[in-house]
Amino acid sequence: MASARAAKTKDLARRVRDRVRTSSVFDRSLRGRVLRLERELEADRQLHRKIAELSDVVAELLIPIQDRDEERVTEVLSQYRKSI
Amino acid sequence: MLADAPRVPLLVHFDDQYVWSFTPGRDGSVDGDTFRIDWPGAMRPFLSGTTRVRVATYDGEVVLHDDEVTFGAGDGRVAFVDEEGAPYSIDKVGHLARAFDETPDDVKRELLEATQAVLRELREGCGVEAYLCYGALLGAVRQGTMLGHDSDVDLCYYTHHTAPADIIAESYRIQRQLRSLDWRVLRMSAGDIKVLWSLSDGRTAHIDIFSAFTIDGTFYQFGNRNGVFDAAEHLLPLGTVTLEGVEFPAPKHPEEMLSFIYGPSWRVPDPGFRYQDNPVGTRRLDGWFRGFRTEVPPWADVFRPPAIERVPSGPSSFAQWVEPQLGAGAPVVDLGAGTGRDAFWFAGQGHPVLATDFSLAALAHMRAHRDATGEDRVVLEMLVMNEMRRVMSLVGPLARDPHHLYARGLIGSLDEQARENLLRLAGAVLRRGQSLFLEFSATVPDVELPLPEPSGLTRRFDPEWLRREIEHHGGVVAFLEIGPGTDMFDEPDPAVARMRVVWPHP
Repeated sequence: MASARAAKTKDLARRVRDRVRTSSVFDRSLRGRVLRLERELEADRQLHRKIAELSDVVAELLIPIQDRDEERVTEVLSQYRKSI
Repeated sequence: MLADAPRVPLLVHFDDQYVWSFTPGRDGSVDGDTFRIDWPGAMRPFLSGTTRVRVATYDGEVVLHDDEVTFGAGDGRVAFVDEEGAPYSIDKVGHLARAFDETPDDVKRELLEATQAVLRELREGCGVEAYLCYGALLGAVRQGTMLGHDSDVDLCYYTHHTAPADIIAESYRIQRQLRSLDWRVLRMSAGDIKVLWSLSDGRTAHIDIFSAFTIDGTFYQFGNRNGVFDAAEHLLPLGTVTLEGVEFPAPKHPEEMLSFIYGPSWRVPDPGFRYQDNPVGTRRLDGWFRGFRTEVPPWADVFRPPAIERVPSGPSSFAQWVEPQLGAGAPVVDLGAGTGRDAFWFAGQGHPVLATDFSLAALAHMRAHRDATGEDRVVLEMLVMNEMRRVMSLVGPLARDPHHLYARGLIGSLDEQARENLLRLAGAVLRRGQSLFLEFSATVPDVELPLPEPSGLTRRFDPEWLRREIEHHGGVVAFLEIGPGTDMFDEPDPAVARMRVVWPHP
């Protein structure tokens, strides 16, 4: 019960904070700009995993599939799913 | 309890069994002359009965307490042991562990052989510069044996790549190579994996394989170590250390590595040591390599007793609403199938089902159910919606063999990237009139609603926001209804959205 109340309070605090942070005044402040930069930097960091995953799919799946060998394609697909 | 406690690590023994270590001043709190520290959460279920509690420094020179203590109302001696009676201790992250001290010599030997096999494969099969690290390296350098209170083996490899994307790609390659040997390999993050090795005493040894690299002058070594360490000077070319009489590859200057990891006082034993990582580097590592597994442990708790017992076994009302819309015998993918209550019910109605979940605990539960019932129309597969390559690996098979997609209670647990992967998958495979069926706890404008269960793992989602995301991915919401419904445990939820989404193709 107490944890549900705490979660509810946290949720309310999060919503208030989000409302403040989406205001245009906050967005122009130094703190707002740093937060925005950090968010954008974080998104850029996450691109590394996306690039690695895409390269993995291309190297392991798409190139063998170009061979158009039906049996080999099925085998490659099944092996790939087991290997990740 | 421990007035005037020293600021050095203290070891706690129950009847001569090492159980836990802490450092006053770092752990617990001081209130006047009294030092207080809570028993670790993982120990508490065992604290019933009487035992001789000894609290002393590592060398035994200072003994703060050595007397019988009775916990709770329990009879007999306290038994801090596993189901087979093997002694437990608390490791440095607060988990139950079986320490090397209590491991029989032949099993210890097996673990060393397994470590050698993994190292050999890393160096010869994968071509990376792998070395012994962390507790095993510390034990080797300090005393030539494994540390009594350690409970696993950690290996690292140094990669010369300097872009996280390349480091991740290399980690994928290593995982694939180890899997090709039929080894059980778990991915912990995009930069570290774990080999699970079965030992003859029934235990599973965890051999962690961490990447280490230098980016912009900062040295990083998984878990979260980051800072100033000159790999060219102190790590490579690798040297060797001797552990339990066996030679292992090690950093060129192991003392420098130990000082980097454990600080300058690494020679002083401290079984309860905690890392002091620079949070700036940790945040970078999180952004580059993590973010797709953070909720694995709490979800595992949901899929184990007692929480799992709250999930009804019959079909949900959503499954019963969806089933007549599927078409006789039409195959279904249940995304985030959980206990499999709906997946197995669909199978019982004649639908082949691919039941997926990201939780190993959920998959283990479904596997046990399938084995018990012999329901072979349900195929199980691990699917992490945040991992694009896993999702994309399903596109081919599902585009050839179209399935409906079904996800109850999933949307509220996904982040933006995972929702994007889900909608990308749906857009690619729902080409022949199949639908994506969604049910989730909904927000209602200007109405305060209770948080959905399981609390903290799922949240309410705005159906209109989701509709925009769907339309952005080329989908069309063919049906939307918001009304009272039920949550994962079939408890009432005042606002539940049901959606049928299709992807029109020319």
